[in-house]
Amino acid sequence: MDIVLQGLSLLINFKVILVIVVSAIYGLFVGAIPGLTATMAAALLIPFTFFMDPVPALVSIVTMSAMAIFAGDIPAALVRIPGTPSSAAYTQDSFELTKQGKGELVLGVDVVFSAIGGLMGAIILMTSAPLLAEIAFKFTTFEYFWLAAMGLSATVMVSRGSQIKGALSMILGLFFSTVGVDITLGYPRFTFGVIELLNGVNFIPAMIGLFGVSEVIRSVMQGELAYPIARVRAEKIFSGIFKMFKRYKVNVLRSGLLGTFIGILPGAGADIAAWIAYAVSKRSSKEPEKYGAGSIEAIVDSGTANNACLAGDWVPALVFGIPGDSITAIVIGVLFMKGLRPGPMIFETQPDIVYAVYLAFILANLLMIPFGYLAIKASSQMLRVPRNILMPGILMFSIVGSFAINNSIFDVGMMLVMGVTGYFMEANGFPVAPIVLGIVLGPIVEKNFMMSMIKTDWDATQFFTRPVSAILCIVTLFIWFFPLFAAVLEKTRKRNNR
Amino acid sequence: MKKNDIIGGGIFIALGIFIFTQTWNYPSPEKGHPGPDLFPNLLALLFIGFGLALILKARKLVSAEAEIVPGPKRIANALFVLAIVAVFVGVVNFVGFLITSAVLLFLLMKKLGVTILKSAIASIIITLFINLMFSKILRVPLPYGILGW
Repeated sequence: MDIVLQGLSLLINFKVILVIVVSAIYGLFVGAIPGLTATMAAALLIPFTFFMDPVPALVSIVTMSAMAIFAGDIPAALVRIPGTPSSAAYTQDSFELTKQGKGELVLGVDVVFSAIGGLMGAIILMTSAPLLAEIAFKFTTFEYFWLAAMGLSATVMVSRGSQIKGALSMILGLFFSTVGVDITLGYPRFTFGVIELLNGVNFIPAMIGLFGVSEVIRSVMQGELAYPIARVRAEKIFSGIFKMFKRYKVNVLRSGLLGTFIGILPGAGADIAAWIAYAVSKRSSKEPEKYGAGSIEAIVDSGTANNACLAGDWVPALVFGIPGDSITAIVIGVLFMKGLRPGPMIFETQPDIVYAVYLAFILANLLMIPFGYLAIKASSQMLRVPRNILMPGILMFSIVGSFAINNSIFDVGMMLVMGVTGYFMEANGFPVAPIVLGIVLGPIVEKNFMMSMIKTDWDATQFFTRPVSAILCIVTLFIWFFPLFAAVLEKTRKRNNR
Repeated sequence: MKKNDIIGGGIFIALGIFIFTQTWNYPSPEKGHPGPDLFPNLLALLFIGFGLALILKARKLVSAEAEIVPGPKRIANALFVLAIVAVFVGVVNFVGFLITSAVLLFLLMKKLGVTILKSAIASIIITLFINLMFSKILRVPLPYGILGW
C-alpha cells in the first residue's frame, strides 16, 4: 500500500497532470488523423521526454498511446479510414453502422470499451509484472538471449504482409544495431571513419526518420485527401451503452484477456491484437454474417483488445527489457536515456516509478471517457486540418527533435537517411516496425550470446541444457518452423481431400 | 510489386556481400574464437538467404496489373521535402533557426499548394511554437545565426 501511495504522489503534482493533459490531447489528435500513427507520435515525443524527469516522460507516452489507439476509431467510423493501424480490423463494420444511422452508438462503444479494455490490461500488468519479475531474477545471459531471439522471431511471424519482407526488415534493424563499437573487443564496425557513428546509429533520429519523415514523404506523394465526413451528435454517444455491456460482457472479458496476452508476447502490438480478436469474435458469434457489414460485436471485441494490448506490451518491456511492440521499444530507449535499466531490478530499486506507470495507465483510461467525448465533438474539425500545412509542421518538428538530442546536425542527416529508407521500404511492402525491434533487440541478442560464450569458454551446450533456456529455445524454434509446418499440413490436407 | 521485389532482393544480397567485404579483416580474440565479425557475418548470410528467397518468390508471382506510379508533380514534392531538410542542414548554423525554419516552411507549403498568405502565417506560427517548445521550455540551444536569431 505504501508503494502505491508513493507512486500516486509522483503522479499527483501540477507538472505531471499538465503533461498528462497535453499528452492526451496530442494522442487524440494524432490518432484521429489518418496516416499519423501512435508509434510516430511516440517517436516525435522522445525529444521532449529527453528533457523531462522519468515519471512525466513515461506517463506522457502511456497517456498518448492509450488516447491515440482509441482515437483511431473516430475516422474509421466517420470516414472509413482508420486513424491508426489498430483500428483497421473493424473500420468496415464501423463505417457501415454509421451509414445505417448508428454512428453515435459506434463511437460510444469505441470510447467506453477502449477504456474498459485499457483498465483490464492495466490490472493484469499490475498483478503479473511483479510475479514475472521474481522469475526474471533467475534469468542469466542464456535465458535473455533466447528471450530476445524469441521476440525477434515473433516479430517476423506477426508482421503484416510477407514474412520474408518482415524478416529482411528485422535483419536490417539488427544490422543498424551493429554499427559502432563492438562488445567484445571495442572494435569500430561500419563507422567508415565517421566519429559520430562510434556510438552507433542514434536511436531517436532513426525512429523520427522512419516514422515521421517517411510519413511526410508518403503524404506529399499522395496529395491532399478530400473525403466526406459523416456527422454525429456527440451528446448521444453514451445512450445504449449499458445494454451493450450487459449483452457483450463475455466478449469484453475474453477480448481484454486476449489483447493483454498478445501484448505480453514480444513484438506483437495493438493492431495484431485487434485482428486476432476480430477473428475469434467472428468464430464465436451467433451472427457471423454481420461481420464486415456492420457488426457492433466485432467493434466491442476488437476495440477492447487493442487498448488492453497496450498495457500488456509493458510487461516484457519492464520485466525483461524486451519490447512488447514498437512503442515500448521506444519506451526502453527512453528508460535507458533516463539511466533506468528495465529488468527485474527496477521493481526493487525504483518501485515507485513502476507504480506511477501502473497508476498512469489507470488514470489515462479513466480520462479517456471525458477526453474521448470532447475529441468526438471536435472530430469534424480535426479531420479537416489541411495536410499541406500539417505535414510541413511535422517535418520541422522532426528536424528540430532530431537535432535537440545531441545538438548535432549529423543526427538530422541520419533522420533524413532513415526517412528515405523507411519510405522506400513501406512503398514496396516491407514493414518498418521490425526495423525498430531489430535496433533495440540486436544489442541484447549479441551481448548475451557473446557473454554466454565467453564465460563458458565457447561451450554452447548450456543454451540448451538449462531448463528455462531449453523451454525458450523450443518456443523459438517452434515459431521459426511453424509457417513451414502449417504449409506442409495444408498441402497434405489438400492432397487427402482430392 | 514483382519487379520491385526482385530489385529489393538484389539490394539485400548486395548488402550481405558488402558486409563480408568489410568484416574479413576484423580482429579475432585469443584462440581464434569469433569476435566482432560473428554477428555481422551471420546477418550477411541471412540477408543473402532471405534476399534469394524474395527473388525466387517474386519470380513465381504472376505479374499484377500495372502499378500506379505517382505523377512527376508528386515526385517533385517528395524531392522538395528532402531538399528542405538538406538546405536546413546546410544553412541553419549561418542563418539561424528562426529565419531558416520560417523561410523553408513557407517555401514547402507554397510548393504543396497553400496560398501565399496562409503559408506565411502558418510558417511563422509553427516556427514560433517550435521555438517556444524547444528553446524556451526545454532550453535546447537552437542555432543562432549571424543576426543573433
